[in-house]
Order: sequence, then C-alpha cells, then structure tokens
Amino acid sequence: MPDTYGRLSLRFEYDSKAARTRLQVLEQRQPLKVVRAFDLPCGGALVHLHNLSGGILAGDKLSLDVAIGAGATAQITSTSATRIYRSRPGARAAEYTTHVQLREDALLEYLPDSLIPFAGARYCQRTEVQLSEGAGLFWWETLAPGREARGEVFSYDELRLGFDLRVAGMPVAMENGDLNPALRPLTSPARLGPYRYLSSFYICRAGTADSVWFAVEKQLLEIAESMSSPVIIWGLTRLPAHGLVVRALSQNGRDIARGLVAFWRVAKQALYGQEAVVPRKIY
Amino acid sequence: MKLIHLADSALPIGGAAHSFGLETLVAEGLLTPETLPGFLRDYLEETGVLEATFCRAAYRAPGSDWPALNRQLSARKLAHESREASLTLGRRFLQLFCGLEGCNIPAGEAHYATAFGYAGRALGVAEEIAAAVHLQQSVTALVSACQRLIPIGQQRAARLLWDLKPEILDAVQASAMAEVGTVAAFTPMVEIASMRHLALETRLFIS
Repeated sequence: MPDTYGRLSLRFEYDSKAARTRLQVLEQRQPLKVVRAFDLPCGGALVHLHNLSGGILAGDKLSLDVAIGAGATAQITSTSATRIYRSRPGARAAEYTTHVQLREDALLEYLPDSLIPFAGARYCQRTEVQLSEGAGLFWWETLAPGREARGEVFSYDELRLGFDLRVAGMPVAMENGDLNPALRPLTSPARLGPYRYLSSFYICRAGTADSVWFAVEKQLLEIAESMSSPVIIWGLTRLPAHGLVVRALSQNGRDIARGLVAFWRVAKQALYGQEAVVPRKIY
Repeated sequence: MKLIHLADSALPIGGAAHSFGLETLVAEGLLTPETLPGFLRDYLEETGVLEATFCRAAYRAPGSDWPALNRQLSARKLAHESREASLTLGRRFLQLFCGLEGCNIPAGEAHYATAFGYAGRALGVAEEIAAAVHLQQSVTALVSACQRLIPIGQQRAARLLWDLKPEILDAVQASAMAEVGTVAAFTPMVEIASMRHLALETRLFIS
C-alpha cells in the first residue's frame, strides 16, 4: 500500500463587519478534512478535524497548518479519539506535523479527544505553536495506553512526541518524548509510575501580567488538589513566561476529560471573562 | 583536580536543599528503597541524557549562544520549582567558579548543567568528562536527598552510586549524538511530583 500524504491548511480571520471569525480552507488533501465551521457564541469559529481513514495508518504522512489572524478566535476539536493503527514490519512510522501561528490577540482552543496507539503502532508527532503578543491558547492533549478493552496496554512499538511553544519567537515550553515501552518501561516511577493516561493542558495569554498568573494559578491549584485522588493526580505550574501548564496522570481516561473541562472553565473566565463552551460534536 | 572539587557535594552552592520532586514521590509512596535503583537508572536514561546534552552544548557554545541555550533548557523544564532550582544552582555555581578561577561570568541566566559545561571548557577538560562528572554529582545529590527521606544507609548509598557508573556513561554516550532541540526526555511522573511539591504538608527540601 502506498504511503498517504494528507494535508490540511486552515486560516481563520476576524471579519470586523460581521464581528465573527471566518474560516478559509486553503488546502485539503485526504484523509484530512474539514466540512464547515460553526459559529461560537463569542464570535469565534468551531472546526472539527476529520480523518477519513478512521485513524492514522502506518506510513501516513499528515500535516496540519493553522493560521489565526489578529483578533480571530478559533476552536478546533476532533470528531472522536485519534486511533493510531498497528505498523507493519518495515513500514515507515506514521508522521503528523502541526504548525500553528497565532497573530496579535488571536485565540485558539485546541481540544481534541485522546490519542490511542494500537498494539504495534509506530508514530511520530511534531507540533509547533507560535504566539504573537496578546495571543491566547488553551491546548490540551491526552495520551491513552492503547485499547484497554482488548488488553492492549503500552503495547505500541514507539511514539515520538514533540511539542514546541513559543511566544514572539522565544521558547516557553518544549517537550520531546520517545516512548518505547519494550525498551524503556513506562511503569517506571520516573515515567508514568502506576498510571496509564497522561494529559497536558497549556493555558497561555502572551503579555498577561504576572499578578494575573499568580491569581489564576492559585485558583487552579485548588481545583488540582480537590480533583486528585488515588486514581488520578493533577499538577500545575507556571511556565517561564506567558502561561501555565496543567498535567495529569490517571489510571483511567474519564476523570481526565472531566478535569480538563473544569480547569478550562475557570481559566477562560479568569483570563477572558468568558464562559468556556464545550465543543459540539458531530454524531 | 579542579573538576573533582567542583563536583564535591560539599560545594557551597546549596545543592543539598533540593530534591527535584523526589520528596513528593517518596511522600506518595512511589519511591522506596526497593524502587530507587531502577528509578535512578531510568532517570539517567531520560533526564540524564537531556542534562548531559545541554552540558555538552554549553561546553561548545560561543558566548552569543549562551542566553538562547539556557532559555531552551528553561522551556524543557516544565516544573517551576525544579526549573528555579536548576537556575539557582547554576547561578551560584558560576559565581563561585568564576570567583575561584578568575574568569568572567557569562551574562544572563544559567542552569546547573550549562554552568558545569562552561566550567569544564574553562578548565580545559574533555567535553565528555565534564558531562560525566556533572551527571555523577547530580545523582550523588539525588541519592543524598533520598538518604534523608527513606531508610538507606551509607553503605547502600555508596553501592547504589557505584553500580550506576555504567548508566552514567551510557547517558554521556547517548548525549554525544543528541541535539538540544530534539533530545528526548520523558519523565512526567517526576515533573508532576515537582509541581505537587508545594502542596506537601511537611517539606525538607526547597524543591
């Protein structure tokens, strides 16, 4: 089977006459697809990312480019969990590269469902997010251990996950993980310990005063403490500048999904004075 | 001789005040005398390679790259407490070293790993030796912290550190091929432990 090169290039621009954000699909190559944008109450645009293959197949080379113009607001979600299928022996690892650029005072809420790597999967994901002055970001990602119902826990071959967040060109958060459960056990107390799910939630607004971050951090710390239990732990911390990151390790996925929304609601209200609207799913 | 001096745990820079999240792992029952050896091996495989890569990069970096290199390492250290601990130790280490050696302190922030690489170059020792000695003193400090947190005697601590030498050299070797922009390190449990450290009811360590 030949390799698949899927590509999606989206641009969101603020239409001042209509007081709404408009979506332009600059390029759309299967299996990645966007059907349409939905209006959000705040004037933003909600987009669902579709993968017509039903998941990421071995050898896939996918790229997503998102440009969000000054003052525009975009909410991006998936239609369901992203499944990463088994790689055949000798097949190239699947790759997914994402570039996101936010101009001044733009806002992106990137709220996908979890990533589920099947047994034997090999996958490389690289994400770069660039924020300009005043731009805001709510970005979460959750990694599942595999298809638990089939007994697949950490049965994938390798995941390489990279995340690079910059504000005005300066790095504020960089993650590079090479997860190879057979070579480097994920159950080590240095890695995931007794937990199976990992989630990261970046909350940023470039240029926001430190005093605001201290206040937001205090509010979110209370939530982290109240939601932590023997089956899930939440931690949060200030980034070197411009934001916070919330992280969770959990023995199940349900508690993570609920918790992320709780953090998002409080942080959105504190930073933007707006209600967080959970994305409507297409079923 | 000077490098051995700089790697001494008694160096007056405040290294004994930090556990880099290990205090939380002990408090939450995840780090015990039984799990500690495996933990340190895995820590070296991840964070050890990361630190050695930045130590080597600092050794090679011309002055103009110094601020960017340290900013990049700050971005890699997600947990505020551990990031600040690394910056504090780096600043104090450079002040002490540059005072002793009579050299200029590089402008801008410095992490402990990059400061050690800078000193290694200034002393004219080989790059891989500087990286290995930095990792040796790092794990010594962690084991020392653990001795105050869990029941590990001096003999056992010495055996533990002795047995980790191959893993230290493996990390140094892996760092030779790594680049600061892409070097992998996956330790979410340790990062979250560092994030949660502030909430512990009783704390022996700053981080």
